[in-house]
Amino acid sequence: MSADETVAASLTETATGSTAAPAVIPAGAIEGRSPWQLAWFILRKDRAAMISLGFIVFIALVAITAPLLAHWIGYGPTDQDRTNGITVDGLPVAPNSQHLFGTDNLGRDILVRTIYGTQVSLLVGVASTLLAVAMGVLVGLAAGYFGSVVDSVLSRAMDVVLSFPFLLFAIALVSIYGSGLGISVFVIAFFTWAAVGRIVRGQTLSIREKDYIEAARSLGAGDMRIMFVDVLPNVLAPVIVYTTLLIPIAIVFESTLSFLGLGVVPPTPTWGNMLSDSLDFYQVAWWFPLFPGLALLLTTLAFNLLGDGVRDALDPRAGRLSQD
Amino acid sequence: MPRSTHHRSRTLAMGALLTSVALAAAGCSSGSKPGPGNSPGNSSDSANVNATGTPTKGGTLKVLGNSDVDHLDTASAYYATSYTVERAYARQLFTYPASTDPNKVNEVVPDLATDLPTTANGGLSADGLTYTIHLRQGAMWNTTPARAVTAQDEVLGMKRLCNPTPNAVGALSYYAGVIAGFADYCNAFAKVKPDIADMKAYITGHDISGVQAVDASTVKFTLVKPASDFLNILAMPFSSPAPVEYLNYMPDDATFRQHTISDGPYQITAYTAGQSVKLDRNPAWAKASDPVRDAYVDHIDVTEGPDEAAVQQQIQAGTADMEWDTTVPTASIPALKATKDARLGIYTAGISNPFLVFNFQSPSNGSALSKPAVRQALEYAVDKVAIGQIYGGPSLNTPLDQTIPPGSLGYQKMDPYATPGSKGDPAKCKSMLAAAGYPNGLVLKDLVRNAGKHPAVAQSIQTDMKACGVTTQIVPVPQGDYYGKYLSVPSLAKSGGWDISEPGWIPDWFGNNGRANIEPLFDGRGYAPGSTDWGDVNDTQVNALIDKALGAPDESTAAGFWAQADQRLMAIAAIVPFEAQSTAVFRSDRVHNAIFEPFAQNYDVTEIWLSPNS
Repeated sequence: MSADETVAASLTETATGSTAAPAVIPAGAIEGRSPWQLAWFILRKDRAAMISLGFIVFIALVAITAPLLAHWIGYGPTDQDRTNGITVDGLPVAPNSQHLFGTDNLGRDILVRTIYGTQVSLLVGVASTLLAVAMGVLVGLAAGYFGSVVDSVLSRAMDVVLSFPFLLFAIALVSIYGSGLGISVFVIAFFTWAAVGRIVRGQTLSIREKDYIEAARSLGAGDMRIMFVDVLPNVLAPVIVYTTLLIPIAIVFESTLSFLGLGVVPPTPTWGNMLSDSLDFYQVAWWFPLFPGLALLLTTLAFNLLGDGVRDALDPRAGRLSQD
Repeated sequence: MPRSTHHRSRTLAMGALLTSVALAAAGCSSGSKPGPGNSPGNSSDSANVNATGTPTKGGTLKVLGNSDVDHLDTASAYYATSYTVERAYARQLFTYPASTDPNKVNEVVPDLATDLPTTANGGLSADGLTYTIHLRQGAMWNTTPARAVTAQDEVLGMKRLCNPTPNAVGALSYYAGVIAGFADYCNAFAKVKPDIADMKAYITGHDISGVQAVDASTVKFTLVKPASDFLNILAMPFSSPAPVEYLNYMPDDATFRQHTISDGPYQITAYTAGQSVKLDRNPAWAKASDPVRDAYVDHIDVTEGPDEAAVQQQIQAGTADMEWDTTVPTASIPALKATKDARLGIYTAGISNPFLVFNFQSPSNGSALSKPAVRQALEYAVDKVAIGQIYGGPSLNTPLDQTIPPGSLGYQKMDPYATPGSKGDPAKCKSMLAAAGYPNGLVLKDLVRNAGKHPAVAQSIQTDMKACGVTTQIVPVPQGDYYGKYLSVPSLAKSGGWDISEPGWIPDWFGNNGRANIEPLFDGRGYAPGSTDWGDVNDTQVNALIDKALGAPDESTAAGFWAQADQRLMAIAAIVPFEAQSTAVFRSDRVHNAIFEPFAQNYDVTEIWLSPNS
């Protein structure tokens, strides 16, 4: 956490500088670049990050076009091919021309299910992360900006959330409210927002002491305006970095919940419940855990590499180092 | 009974146990006698028993599994695993023999008793209400000094059953509903403060009128009504005698478990909860006093922890000898069968697990499930072969089309809702549903345990139902809460919290077991919280047949009534049976004389001998 905050602090300096400088640069022989353009410029040179970005775009397209792909492949995600997709003894069938990735223990096509699993993973990953970031930013801003009692209360609340054992709490919550997509998103968001909140609070604490905040206040700006117009844009960089790193965490959380039977309700395929189904069969059907496992691995890897790239791009010192 | 049965059902599910099969049903129409058909305990290959050679004494039998016993106290132990180890340290008046003969293995034989009570030998009164049982000489407790097992010990064993602690007997109804004065004794016991002194005072100061020690070696039971299965009840490990020392402990607490007293061939010398049970020979036991157990090995070590797959690997490698609470992983069976591995044993289990229950009370779909015509239509929907594949395919499963599985009294093979190859007939289901007034199908909530093979079963059913125009919504619930917080809660059933579900059931014994099978599952008169008649089947004809069967003077009369109850239950489509299952177990190379005991669903540890110098 402290490392993140250090990076975040340096990021803020840049962002702060940009706010202080005129936003519009007159056209001329030398083309000016905004910090965001600079960041994109650096990011573009990061091959790993760009490949990851490409992969993420690819799986996003796969998720969106899943029904089309399934139609083209010829099996729905819950279609059980009891003739050719399962042996007499109930074992999955190895990859073949009919089922390119093989089948699972109910004779369902693993390729189609892995494709559909993308939908859930991305949906839960992105939705819960956005929710967590929204909550974290609001609470962090309020805690950092108002300080004193508000800060104490909100900070302790964040401490409490961070000290919860995730799985125990998730199991309890799901057994009370039942499992499903919505509850998964909520549980994941609930357990990740506090980390965002802490970063934002730390940033806000330092920013609110800046001269331009003092200037805004003396010009008569209200608390809301200062928080959302003057402070928020300057904490965005670390938040963006953290968001890209949070998405893979959320995807893994979702898989964990589904693996334990606490996530998305069957027969909706998710990588987690596919891995869970494969537990009894991995010794005789390598393809069963391999493909959903690979999908999970590559997706989280891509988001993490992209996150690293974005952090480097938004960190001015990192950028300078790379140019040396 | 309900609570207990959950225990056993849960055990089953936890170990993913009964992966199974039913080699049985083929060839089992036993013509003249409406008997148990192909009994549990039957095996397809005798090579697995490995009885060749001269029995050798000695060695340590290494038993490996996942989880601990539920209890070590005979008054409460209810898991099949507990039965496996109780066989070594606790004897009963009667028990089941170690036998490879499917016709004998579920027939009660004398253990501590000298012989089976009959009217001919004066053991059973003419009205069928009084059993006088004589105890064998030479059966001793391993106390210091060793002391004979007496009729007073048997009486004490019965008096400890309904103690007011959580570690009381799980199947009280078998005793309270049958033995005179048992219910009164227990009702008063329930009000006693659960501490050692108060319970001891109550037990020593009160008697069960129907359980009397006539003298040190004669015990007399008086029943409220004839029960042709009374000896089966006395053969349950709950019915074991208890030494007087047990009054000095809280039943089955941690201290108790360190001080178990044995009258069997082995005694527990070390027990670590959740880790291990170690048994050594009991010096007070003599083979001359025990017609059932041979006690070949010197030590039995039970180790707990690894999962099903790891247990299997260790036994195959020879670092363990037999399973404890797990069975052979279904995915491993095809390969083992292909190589004709003699160490693999597939035994008819006599169990129909799971099966589909209908919530008769559900208001959903205009109370559709209360209508027999709707349930009859749905009988045609299920592809039973596909369900069997989830549990390991046809070598472990045979489609079952009735409520009584093979191996239980009253089994007469039938298939009132036959479909081609038992694979379901969606068209027929659809047309019958339309005729019943539901041309647009139904929407059903399927209550499903979220672990093991249960989600796969529910998804298979979902596919079948969809073909019949019925949409099922899977409602996943935690395995541990499934029975107690969902399926056995009448208010949830009445509110339509679920429409269908796939529970499991293991009868407490086989053979003459309607009391442990049909009655708890389908007698709706006692429907209340905790009931195991989950769907609230309450049919006048079935109830009357249950009364007749339970009150029948002998087994064959009872068998007729149970068979009629079975027919009636299927006629009203009370449940959709799926498969009769078998259990796949595995032994190491050095294990000889591996005799499967259906009662414990495992090998008899007192009969195994090990290869010399192994």
